[in-house]
Amino acid sequence: MSAFSTPLFALLLTLTSYRLAWWVYERTGRHPLAHPFLLAMIPVIVVLLALGISYRDYLAGTAVLQFFLGPATVALAWPLYRQLSTLRHIWRQVTLYILIGAPLAAGLAIALAAICGAPADVVGSLAPKSITTPIALEVSRLTGGYPALAAGAVAITGIVGVLAAPLVFRLFRITDDRIRGLALGLVAHAIGTARAFEYGERAGAYSSLALGLTGLLTALALPWLWPWIAGLL
Amino acid sequence: MLDGLLILLAFQFAGELLVQTLNLPLPGPVLGMVLLLAALTTRAAILQRIAPAANLLIGNLTLLFFPIGIGIVLEWDRYAEHGLALLVSIVLGTVLALVLVTGLLKLLLRSPS
Repeated sequence: MSAFSTPLFALLLTLTSYRLAWWVYERTGRHPLAHPFLLAMIPVIVVLLALGISYRDYLAGTAVLQFFLGPATVALAWPLYRQLSTLRHIWRQVTLYILIGAPLAAGLAIALAAICGAPADVVGSLAPKSITTPIALEVSRLTGGYPALAAGAVAITGIVGVLAAPLVFRLFRITDDRIRGLALGLVAHAIGTARAFEYGERAGAYSSLALGLTGLLTALALPWLWPWIAGLL
Repeated sequence: MLDGLLILLAFQFAGELLVQTLNLPLPGPVLGMVLLLAALTTRAAILQRIAPAANLLIGNLTLLFFPIGIGIVLEWDRYAEHGLALLVSIVLGTVLALVLVTGLLKLLLRSPS
């Protein structure tokens, strides 16, 4: 076995590309289009193609990273717990918002993909696209989706959400950081939350809250409802 | 850091075990998250030790899912025929969702504070 087809090399390639991508991302003032998910792809793809390493082998080599998606999901309880106190005064509105908004985001993804003729496995990969990746990957397993498609869709959703947010907030004349945070967290998960923190601590806190609650509600409801939804497709 | 990781893995395992035993249609780690959240509300001091591990993992989510996500490009052959559906669902779906939830929030949270 050559040194280039070892997990060590796959991991080294991934970490180096990710680190470089972060450096560039910071340099651009964290422009959404320079998100590390997009930038890190370039060197990784070039090297994999140049060395003739298959995606399957690369994925097997970086299994240690995927393993930590499980504990990362559990870890989301921590920011959620820390934000529970911000809920005290407006828990009714926030609960109602998540109960309407989370199905809305998932429903739009499902309906639009279905209208365009996507088969159930593709729709099942897109349904959890507004929730944070570790949870989305778990949900997509239960909805018969492809992990790669689910993870890619989640990342691109976050980037599109962050790109569109300033325009949408201007359109609605939003100056309330609670609204900015709750909207970004529900639609654009962790990528939106990182952006929300740039509006301020308060926006970031509300975004973390929306991210956690949306992920939780979607994970609880979608696998349950999926057999029924798939029946409609 | 080690204590935090240990606690997270223990709660994940508890979640997986419950899901398996009770045959729940639910991801094990998500149930682990719910259990940890419930445990945190008891304010047990030991659980505060998850903070460093939790922050490290959450801060680098992109790295954790990157090898899977890159498959959307490397395995594009598999998805190419659904390219339009993907584009419409992801781009239009996201923008529409953002418009609707922002409008909804404006209705729900009228009083600025």
